[in-house]
Amino acid sequence: MTFLNSSRTHRVPVTLAALAVLFTAACGTGADTGAPAALQTTQAATPPDDQLDTDATVNVRLTLEPTSLDTFGTSGAALDQLLLDNVYQGLVSIDTDAGDKIVPALASSWEQSPDGLAYTFHLVPNAKFHDGSPLTAADAVWSLQQQIAPGSKSIKAAGFTSIADVSAPDPATVRIAVKQRDTLLLWNLTQRGGIVYRQGTDFAGLGGAENGSGPFTLAQWNRGSSITLARNDSYRGVKPKVAKVIFTYIKDANSANNAQVTGQTDIQVQADPTLLQPFTGNDKFTVLRGTTTDKFTLAFNGTRAPFTNPDVRHAIRQAIDRQGAIDAYGSGVAIGSNVPPQDPWYEDLTGIDSYNPDNARKLLATAGFANGLPLTLDVPNIYPTAITDLLVSDLKKVGITLTVRQVEFQTWLSKVYTNKDFQLSLVDHAEARDLDNYTKPGYYFGYDNAQVQQWYTQARTAASDADRDVLLKNVARQISQDAAADWLFLVQSTTVLRHGVYGVPQAETSNRYNLSALAVGKQR
Amino acid sequence: MTAYVVRRIGLLVLSLAVASVVVFALLRLLPGDVATTIAGTQASPAQIAAIRADLGLDRSLPAQYLSWIGGVLRGDFGHSQLNGTTVSAELNRKLQVTLPLAAGAMVVALALAIPLGTWAATRRRTVAGGALNALSQLGIAIPSLWLALLLVWLFAVQLSWLPAQGFPVDGWDRRGAAIRSLVLPWLALGLTEGAVLLRFVRSAVLGVLDSDFLRTARATGLTRSQALLRHGFRNAAVPVVSILGLQSAALLVGAVVIEQVFTLPGVGSMLVTDIGNRDLVKVQGEMLILVGAVLMLGCTVDIAHRIIDPRIGSTV
Repeated sequence: MTFLNSSRTHRVPVTLAALAVLFTAACGTGADTGAPAALQTTQAATPPDDQLDTDATVNVRLTLEPTSLDTFGTSGAALDQLLLDNVYQGLVSIDTDAGDKIVPALASSWEQSPDGLAYTFHLVPNAKFHDGSPLTAADAVWSLQQQIAPGSKSIKAAGFTSIADVSAPDPATVRIAVKQRDTLLLWNLTQRGGIVYRQGTDFAGLGGAENGSGPFTLAQWNRGSSITLARNDSYRGVKPKVAKVIFTYIKDANSANNAQVTGQTDIQVQADPTLLQPFTGNDKFTVLRGTTTDKFTLAFNGTRAPFTNPDVRHAIRQAIDRQGAIDAYGSGVAIGSNVPPQDPWYEDLTGIDSYNPDNARKLLATAGFANGLPLTLDVPNIYPTAITDLLVSDLKKVGITLTVRQVEFQTWLSKVYTNKDFQLSLVDHAEARDLDNYTKPGYYFGYDNAQVQQWYTQARTAASDADRDVLLKNVARQISQDAAADWLFLVQSTTVLRHGVYGVPQAETSNRYNLSALAVGKQR
Repeated sequence: MTAYVVRRIGLLVLSLAVASVVVFALLRLLPGDVATTIAGTQASPAQIAAIRADLGLDRSLPAQYLSWIGGVLRGDFGHSQLNGTTVSAELNRKLQVTLPLAAGAMVVALALAIPLGTWAATRRRTVAGGALNALSQLGIAIPSLWLALLLVWLFAVQLSWLPAQGFPVDGWDRRGAAIRSLVLPWLALGLTEGAVLLRFVRSAVLGVLDSDFLRTARATGLTRSQALLRHGFRNAAVPVVSILGLQSAALLVGAVVIEQVFTLPGVGSMLVTDIGNRDLVKVQGEMLILVGAVLMLGCTVDIAHRIIDPRIGSTV
């Protein structure tokens, strides 16, 4: 197997740039990352409460409507975006604007035993479900039992296999015993699988209704257009600063821009970064940038020729000008592996298989494709064609004739993901912390490296987070050195907000959209 | 007559039965199913298999068809396998947007086509008439999508007179806002449709203008306008009304694009989303109702024709 690293001199500036991004993402200081001045990483400070309009309704543009509101059995980031933190809560949560720090939610504090095999969570007092019933430790225990029950229908069940037992020593305490150390358990509890449901909830009834414990309740769902959340006035904690939030689902980027320009929406989430002209240099609006977990991943079918030959995989990676891909998309950061900068095990790996078309041609010649190589790419039709156009022209320069097949997302799921009937695939892997996809040989790209699988298992049971981070760094580096895939770039989120709106989420906006800080100034 | 009505209704039932099979079978040609929409990219194959079994997707296609059509015969058109909403309730909600959209666009089209078409016909040999004819040709060539973008740019973004997109959250409870949100879609659909109808009206009126009966009417002392109004229009209307029926159906279909551009929660947007999610039980129920409505309309028109005009032969 060939490992290729570019020269060291090339790596330094890239590292600095990545550090700058990391710094701004983590601290929110607004250090300039080289983006145009109108694009910001910070927003205006929220004024004191007496200057806020607490009766305000905020209109927010989102792109993808959930198919169902069943957070237990239905997949989809759209559901997390809408309901996590706002309507449903778990014991713990994360602060996406503070580098995914784990923060209290229904548990005000928690401890781990010295051997790492027991967790104790202390619940906040007076927590209530939206139907008025009190939320106790028994509800939390029951909810986790639904995750670990054999044959569980939870789509997040795989995250809780380490749990041996859940119990409630008293109504305000939850105890989780694990079979072996699990360094990822706390994280998994911050996600959908950690939601506390009322004991005995019939999940079949959650398709269009909710009974969460969060600061907002579901007020209305106009299928096909909008979902309204209203302030939960009996919320135990700090109440939301706005009365209502209407999420309007507008797919088309131009329509969304028009809605924002004309004041139909106050906030435009997931704005098209190539269509920001109406907002940049316009003092009525702020354009916010933030990190995401969206990794545009060019996957090779690793179980099939010619991708069984590592030279071919490395050649394709080196043929792609990732900065060109970022420019085509309009915003993004080169990452070099499947880890975004906000994860503790991130390191700059962009030096591995960096852009080198000359070497790519040599590698292809070595692999026996000096006279050209025809390949086919399956890509869901929801992504900008500018990216695939760039891939076609970059690969053509090294002798690869790329045929692009635009398919509906469901067709991609069926053909590529399920049936593994593909050569190259391009898809945005939006899930947070999904390195485990590279430890499953049955996953659609069929990457199989026993060492990587072992490191990952060891990382899950590591004695400390520091040990875990070292092992996961190994995994991230190895999958890049093996060219398990090519990570074109990490998307940067683009949010447009009108002046007078404060506390707008800016990082990882497609996974969670925590409205607790959202506020509107009095004079509109 | 009774025999004809019985035969015509028999044909309707047969057509519906065939339509149900075609709709069901065509949808099954799509790759993927609702189980993968529910499970996404993180569930295990065993979980996906369990979802399939729960939803009855592991049964044979004839078995799935029979259980669906059995429900339809009992008046149950099925429900979404994603979130449980019933087909009839969803369709009812979406038609509250799509029907006013198509009807309003038709009104705009007729208001444009009838006076201008007649005018163009009576001035067929003048420069103005020719210019209008050319203009209508251009109107047909302009896609309603492009016209929509122009209208939004002018009336919503530049002038701020009308909303750029969307439909009020409270629907028709806020009648004024609902109407305001439909004005630009009406214009976008209606203007292009009007250009099409204008040409039909023009040629229909032209045909009448050259007819013997109109010349006779003129001979009795009527002016050309009087003759046209009293005797011409009724005859010119016959071909225009037939075309109107076809164009109404086309308008409902054309509304899909306009619904997407203006983010209107109508039938077209719903079908596109449901097919994307492979919520096939819901789609086939919706399709069957829509197909049924069109077929029934045709059947009613046929029977009405026979009652009004006994000259029409019984060719079923």
